[in-house]
Amino acid sequence: MQRSVLVLVIMSVIMLAFLPWIASDVMLQFAINTLLLATLAQSWNILGGFAGYVSFGNSVFYGLGTYGTAIAMAQFGLPFWVGLMLGALLAVICALIVGLPILRLRGPYFAIATLGLSGVMGAIVSNMDIAGANIGLILPLTRADPMFYELSLGLLVVTTVCVAWLSMSRFGMALIAIREDEDAAGTMGVNTTRYKVAALVLASLFTSIAGGIHAYWITFVDPASAFDPTLNVRMVIMAVFGGSGTVFGPVIGSFLLSTIYELLAFWISTAAALLFGVVIVLAVLFMPKGIADLALAKEPGWRYFLRNVREHRL
Amino acid sequence: MSATAVPVLEGRRLTKRFQGLVSIDDVSFSLAENEVLGLIGPNGAGKTTLVNMISGTIRADHGSIFFKGQPIDHLRPFQRAHLGISRTFQVMKPFPGLSVLDNVVVGALFGTGGGETSIARARESAREWIEFTGLTHRIGQSAEALGGPDRKRLEFAKALALNPKLLLLDEVMAGLNLVEVDEVVGLVRKVRERGVSILIIEHVMKAIRHLSDRVMVLHHGEKIAEGEPSAVLSDPRVVAAYLGTRRT
Repeated sequence: MQRSVLVLVIMSVIMLAFLPWIASDVMLQFAINTLLLATLAQSWNILGGFAGYVSFGNSVFYGLGTYGTAIAMAQFGLPFWVGLMLGALLAVICALIVGLPILRLRGPYFAIATLGLSGVMGAIVSNMDIAGANIGLILPLTRADPMFYELSLGLLVVTTVCVAWLSMSRFGMALIAIREDEDAAGTMGVNTTRYKVAALVLASLFTSIAGGIHAYWITFVDPASAFDPTLNVRMVIMAVFGGSGTVFGPVIGSFLLSTIYELLAFWISTAAALLFGVVIVLAVLFMPKGIADLALAKEPGWRYFLRNVREHRL
Repeated sequence: MSATAVPVLEGRRLTKRFQGLVSIDDVSFSLAENEVLGLIGPNGAGKTTLVNMISGTIRADHGSIFFKGQPIDHLRPFQRAHLGISRTFQVMKPFPGLSVLDNVVVGALFGTGGGETSIARARESAREWIEFTGLTHRIGQSAEALGGPDRKRLEFAKALALNPKLLLLDEVMAGLNLVEVDEVVGLVRKVRERGVSILIIEHVMKAIRHLSDRVMVLHHGEKIAEGEPSAVLSDPRVVAAYLGTRRT
């Protein structure tokens, strides 16, 4: 990584850390949401971007993080950080149990199998009294948006540092080899199963902590929103829009898309979702490799877009 | 080499069927330390199937494979790679989105004995293998951008980067011109001088004759001849398998 990029990133983080002192309440809420979504996209990037395994099951880890925190705080009166740890533990155990069988599947089969996961987990939680069954749980109210903001920012920084390390490490190289050709990677000595499961566990860890922070911030959890499959779709879109398999792509993708959506909702409230869809379609057509690839492209703007259209035979 | 030495690789009565088709039929063979065994036979004879069985991507229906006297039938491909078995693919399998250097780095990072732990050292050794196979001028290019002969070189460099004790070469010379074939023959010799045992599949008979200590011939999955190269290549059964018999 170039030193200038590193300096720029550190400066941005320091500036972002001071946001609660200048931003309005609405602005701060938008920022917390954006940071949490960016963390989710970045976590998805670990397995989806580096190893090429497109998961729609990450919202399960988010839900488990949500419920771990909610159960610890609402049912047992335990402190917030214990709840976060409980949620992370549940998610990691789930990743280990589910990962071993499901990561044997490849391509679309893996994606389909993961799609079922959040439905299953949502149904299980809806029938557990300790989790408030299908009514949900109410967490103790804390009005401390600046704290939630700093926590979310910290989590995103930690997740991104982890991905940056990954991109330069032996572990990351194994994941990339698996993405490029899993059979060839195996004959070259890569223990594919171990690295895939490790990537899923790492993703589940960060995803669940984001879920826990969100639960305490919103102070209410219910099965439908905790195990919402469209949340997972958003992770995929944001990571791919920014550039999956890159260090900063998913973060930039989330920031931009969240902002675009928020602006659209502000100007033309009802048609926002429609226009948002158009933005996604155009992005996939003209820059399928994401913003990260666009930023590194050698040719000027419109030529880059035309080349993408040509190369993908559209 | 003493007669009692344990062979590096030994196959005992190997059989593999794909549905009704018998691809490998009761084949036994052995490969001594630092030996070069040529494996020839017409298309569809089962040569690549045999290499797949040795590298672990498919399993034998019957029979066993031994590496340095130990059975390896239960080991997965990556475990066999850690033991020191490395291969090239006839249908080349470069990592398309990676540079030539990164392609080879993967081999150095995860090869024999589990591979190099430091990325920097893996890069260093990858550079050496790229130099060895004559690809240095392409080191930063994406593997996708390489032409046929350079892809062959890359396939070779990747396999060598694992630092193997046993190298399985599946048609690394196919599609090369005469000069390029001579180059690769020279490279295989140099690899052998490092003490590597080699199983080489090739249709280029000149190369097989120059490189092999022994030659084994497969036809319809059966071993029909084995022995010293010039004797085997003039064996009437081998000639008949390749060219067909004269009508009488």
